[in-house]
This record gives sequence, C-alpha cells and structure tokens, in this order.
Amino acid sequence: MLCRRILLKKVWNNGRRWLLPSSSLSPVPTTADYKRHFSTHIMAAFSLPQNNQFTLKIPYMENRCKFSSNAVADLHTNGIVDVPLAQTGEGIAECELLKWFIQEGDEVEEFQPLCEVQSDKATIEITSRYKGRVAQVLHVPGNIVKVGETLLKMAVEDTQVPLVTLSNLENEKQPDTKSNKDFTGGVLSTPAVRNLAKEHGININDVQGSGKDGRVLKEDVLKYATQEGIIKDPLVTATATADLGQLFHREKSSLLESAQVSGHYEDTIVPLRGFQRTMVKTMSMAAKVPHFHYVEEIDCDALAELKASFQTNNLEPGLKFTFLPVLIKSLSMALSKYPMVNSCFNEESVEVILRGSHNIGIAMATPNGLVVPNIKNVQSLSILEITKELSRLQQLSLDNKLSPADISGGTITLSNIGAIGGKFGAPIVNLPEVAIIAMGRIQKLPRVADDGDVYSASIMTVNIGADHRVLDGAIVARFCNEWKRFIEKPELLMLHMK
Amino acid sequence: MLVPQTKNIGLPLMNLMRFKGLPILQQLHIEEQLLRTSSENWCIVNDGTNDPTVVMGVLGKPAELLEIESVLDDQVPVIRRFTGGGTVIVDHGTVFVTFICNKEAVPNLQPYPRPIMSWSSSLYSKVFQGIGDFHLRENDYVFGNHKFGGNAQSITKNRWIHHTSFLWDFNVQNMSYLKHPKRAPAYRSARSHLDFICRMKDYMPRSTFMDKTVEATETQFSLRPIQLEAIRTCLEAEFCPSSRFLTNEELEAAAVALQS
Repeated sequence: MLCRRILLKKVWNNGRRWLLPSSSLSPVPTTADYKRHFSTHIMAAFSLPQNNQFTLKIPYMENRCKFSSNAVADLHTNGIVDVPLAQTGEGIAECELLKWFIQEGDEVEEFQPLCEVQSDKATIEITSRYKGRVAQVLHVPGNIVKVGETLLKMAVEDTQVPLVTLSNLENEKQPDTKSNKDFTGGVLSTPAVRNLAKEHGININDVQGSGKDGRVLKEDVLKYATQEGIIKDPLVTATATADLGQLFHREKSSLLESAQVSGHYEDTIVPLRGFQRTMVKTMSMAAKVPHFHYVEEIDCDALAELKASFQTNNLEPGLKFTFLPVLIKSLSMALSKYPMVNSCFNEESVEVILRGSHNIGIAMATPNGLVVPNIKNVQSLSILEITKELSRLQQLSLDNKLSPADISGGTITLSNIGAIGGKFGAPIVNLPEVAIIAMGRIQKLPRVADDGDVYSASIMTVNIGADHRVLDGAIVARFCNEWKRFIEKPELLMLHMK
Repeated sequence: MLVPQTKNIGLPLMNLMRFKGLPILQQLHIEEQLLRTSSENWCIVNDGTNDPTVVMGVLGKPAELLEIESVLDDQVPVIRRFTGGGTVIVDHGTVFVTFICNKEAVPNLQPYPRPIMSWSSSLYSKVFQGIGDFHLRENDYVFGNHKFGGNAQSITKNRWIHHTSFLWDFNVQNMSYLKHPKRAPAYRSARSHLDFICRMKDYMPRSTFMDKTVEATETQFSLRPIQLEAIRTCLEAEFCPSSRFLTNEELEAAAVALQS
C-alpha cells in the first residue's frame, strides 16, 4: 500500500470544509450501509477498513460553465441549433460583439473560439459547445448582444444530442449549488435523481420534493419507492454521508451512486485541481529523489500502558491522550542523537542543512486531500504541550483554518496511516525533508520469548522512507533503533528530562 | 538557496518581469503576446512609462472619450489596447501591474470578469491593509470613493489577463485631454476627473507599493524573476499584436465625424 503525503500551501479556497479522521490508531468505525456511498467521497478511500486500497478517484470537478442549462432546448429537429451568448459570468446583461473568428460555412470543433465580445472592462472569448458547421451568423461586430440571445446558428449532427445531455450531467458534478436545476419535465431535480426514479419505474412528478424550491432529492425518491413497496431496504440517505464530508453537493454522490444502480458505467473525466493538482507537482518532484525504505516492528505494550496511565491521571478535562505525542517526543529524542535525519538537502550547492528545530509534521487526511501541519520545536516541548498543540492543529484542520506558518517549516514527517488501516506503507519523502515515517496499525501478534514461550504483543510496523543522497541504511537503522528504544522503554525518556 | 524556494513547493509558478519606464505600447505588445502564445503564468510590473500617452479600451471611440483638438494640437499619442475597459492617460507617474494566468492557476477561480476582479482586489487588499480604506468599487480600485486604479481584462479560451494602471501621481493638465465618459460607474456621481480620482502617493511610497504587491503575489505563486532579454527569442516574430497607435488621420476623421 502506498502512503501519500502532500505539502499543502495556502490555496485559494471558498471555505471548504476539511474533516479529519480520529487521530487514534484504531480504525474508523463504519456500518455496512455506509460502504456503498463511500466510493463517491474522498473520505471513502480512507474509511473502508477492509479495503486497503487508496483509490483517490475523487470526483472533484472544476466548474465547467461551457454549457448553459438551455442546451437541450436549443436543439431543433432539423439539426440546426441556436448558439446563445453565454460564458460571460454573473451580472453581465449584454456585451458588444468585437469580432468573429469564424464565418458562415466553417467547420467548427467543440471548444473552438467563435468570437470575442466585450463587457465592461473585459474582452471575453466565446467558445463553441458543439462540433458542427456554422450555418448562420446573426450579428456583426459592433452589435450589442444580450446574454442569452442567439449569436449564431450551427448545424450539428443528431448524434450530438446525447453529448448535450452528458454535458448537463457534467454540470451536475460541480460543487456549485446554484446552477444544478433541470427545468424540463416540470419538477426540479438532477438527471441522476431522474435516472434513479426511472430505474425504479417511478414517475418523478409523483414524488414530493424536500429540497430547496421543492426539488426532488435522491432520498425523496427512495422514500417514495419504499412507501410504494418498490424497494424493501432503503439505502442510508445522503444525510448520513453528509456528516462525513460536506464538501461535495449531495447530488454528486447520488449521481455516481445511481450510475452504479442503473448500470451507466461511463468514463468520467476528473481534472485535477487545487490540492490534487499540487500533489501531482510535489509528487513528481519527490519521485526524482532516490529513496530507500527501512522497515521495523516496534512493540507498543509499554506505550499502551503509558497512554492508559496518562488518561487515568488526566487532570484536564477535554484533553484526549493518544499514542502520537509520545511517539513524537521520542522521535525528537532520537533526532537529537542523529541530526542528519532532521535535515534538508540543497541540491545546487550539494550541502546538507542540519535543522536546529525539530518541527515534526503530522500528516492529516481531509476530504480535500492530505495536509501536513507541523509541531514546532518539539525538542523544547513536553509531552503534555505536544498533546495540546496536536489537538490545536487537528481542530484547525477541521475548521479549515491552518495558517501558512502551521504547514511550512517542517523538518520531518510522521504519517499515522495506521489510524485508517494497513500494516505499513512505502512513504515518499516530503521535500525538502530527507526522511518520512509511516506508522501502520498496532496489531496484536504472537511473539516468541527467549524461553520459547509464545506471547501476545502489540506490534506496530513502521516504514521509514529516506533520501538516499543524504542518508544511508546504517544511519537510518541506528536512528530507528534509538527511536524504538524510547518507545519500547518510555521510562528512558526520563533520563533526558530537564 | 533551497529553503526559501522550497517553501513554495506546491504553489503554481509565475514569471515576474519588472520594468521601469517601459513604453506602454511595448508593454501592451508583450502582454498580448504572452496571453496568446505562452502557457505560463506572468506578472508584469512597470514602474512608470515614458511619454504621456492616452490608452483607450478596445472599443473606445476617440470622439466620445477625448478632447481631440487638444490631443492633436499637443501631439499626444493615443493607443487602442487589446483589452476592454475605459480610457486613461498614463505617464511616468503611473505604475502598471499585470497578471496573466492560466485558467487553473488560481484554484477555484471562475474565469469570468467579476471573480477575477474579486481575486485581484483581495490581493491588493493585502498590499493596502490598514491604509486609506482601500476597496474595489464596481470595477475600480478606490480609497474611500476616490479612484486610483483602473482595471481591464481579456479572457480567452484557457487564459486570462488582468491589468491595472495605478495613479501613483498624475499631472492635472493631462487630465484635460479626457472627456467625461458617457459610460461611467454609478459611484462617480457625475464628479469631474479631479474630484473623482486621487493619487496613491498620498498613501504609500512607490517602491513600497511595488514590493508589497510582489510579496502578496508570492503568497499564491512561486515567483521567478525573468528579464525581457531572456524571453526575447521565445517571443514569436510572427505574432501581430492588436494594440496600436491611432493615426492622426483617424483622430482627425473622428473629430470631423463628431462635428457633422
């Protein structure tokens, strides 16, 4: 299983919500009912306990406003379509036509620029939504054209009609909640919901809509179907899944859900934007680094006892103790002895900068992608302080309020992938750091004692990914041994207590 | 140096070109060529231009916008640029800032005039934080209700350009070449030029403004300084920019048409 991490910088976002799985090392509980919906959410990839696959097929769509909701209405029976002035953005009522890029009789491809218009301060290229031939141009440069007014007529092939419907479907996948209304048929709903109704032989007009403006939602159809006895077991409604990820509009999940229900297995193009796009870039760069991986098993029995003790003797309500803070502090102890593991590599000058602070990054999974905030100066923090800081960063991730300072300046990264599942991964270094540690789930495994007896121990497998230009196997092995020592015998941390 | 660069890993790359006194027509030619033929993101900062020049939007009608007689008498150059928008008179007191971006350069930004304007104003909000009640008013940058920066854009299939001319300082006499435009923003409230605009120099030193703008851009992009010479060979010789000077004949014809 591959572990991915992302160095997230401040990106332009519109208040999207990030959610964080529990930071404890136990898997996220789910019910069987959730499973069907999970493939439609980013969280899905992280939340399936039995499936250790990272699919990361995220239906993240850029708002493609190349098709207006009038597309279906445009089509005349003789294959000539009216192409209106669209794509100018909100609030623009009319534009002046500047120039045509095509003329009557020209063959035009989809997305080919047709003309340029001016509105207020902007000149805008209008592109074609169809492939076809320009039948008639209705305006000359200098004309004022109202938005929605026909610019030209195009002869398109009849086979493009399904294309038009598909474009409406594509439109539906946007997180934009405003423009997803389908007005044909009298009842407001998305094509996905209509498909679902059709699949169950239900007339969508019979269904009472509970959405905004009376629109019919997926759960309305399912409820109706149950009431009519058409289906026996209602699927868990979208409200349940909404708890897990508010990022995606409900209809998106119902779109992919009903695609599977109705058997429409079509290819979906997902342009990678935002964090995913950033991940493409950072991974491509990191892939150039020669990595080696070092795997070790660590006995966590003592760690579990320590955590229990912290929890029992906890004087601060609201503070939750997990394994992570002790792992982080002991990591810092080991880094003090092996500072090479806490460094950055400067390729140009072929220099290694041994970083003075231990800014330990903790990979956190959010519906948007991975984010790695770091705890600064762990070498100077107590375990209690680390616990509080970790909690603060987790809360900020949840609220989508991490600052650039929180996510920059890291010197080494810990990926607690075991919180979701898996034995261990082969993590990729988080540049410009030189090491990353993926920690698998703590599992109860049989061990053999010196006297030959078999006993049960809580074992965590860790995989250290390291930049082989800077670190060699020996350094990493010794560093890991040191870290393991502190985890298996946490009382040794007291030796260094000041 | 590795560390400052690598903190920007993950930010889209943007090339930064800084000029001082570059003639405005040359700037417009470079901008249009970069918009139409480059696939990278660009930021251009031009600290003043040389001679006072009138720059009209792509649909600007000289007769409506200019005092043509004075313009002809004083031989003031008039340019029609490739982006939309209104008319300005620029000189060494004008600071130009231009962003040319791919549609995906700014995450979640819709490639339409309003969202782009909103994005750029939030960038400049960082520059003018706490200074002079800066905001975007209709399509202009204002302190209070006095305009000090005018904007124009062009949006193509995959890219967009947003450029701004900032009135760091202006010559009162130059304003007399411009007529009160027919299409004016509502907030202008029929004020004369001098009551409508203000000077940025009353609020911020010139170099501070440019440095802060670059800093604000760096929070969203990984900036790479580029010299014009470095890209000259890449700028296609065959490209024909559309921004051009209006000839005396055209201006005279416009004056005649107005009178008739």
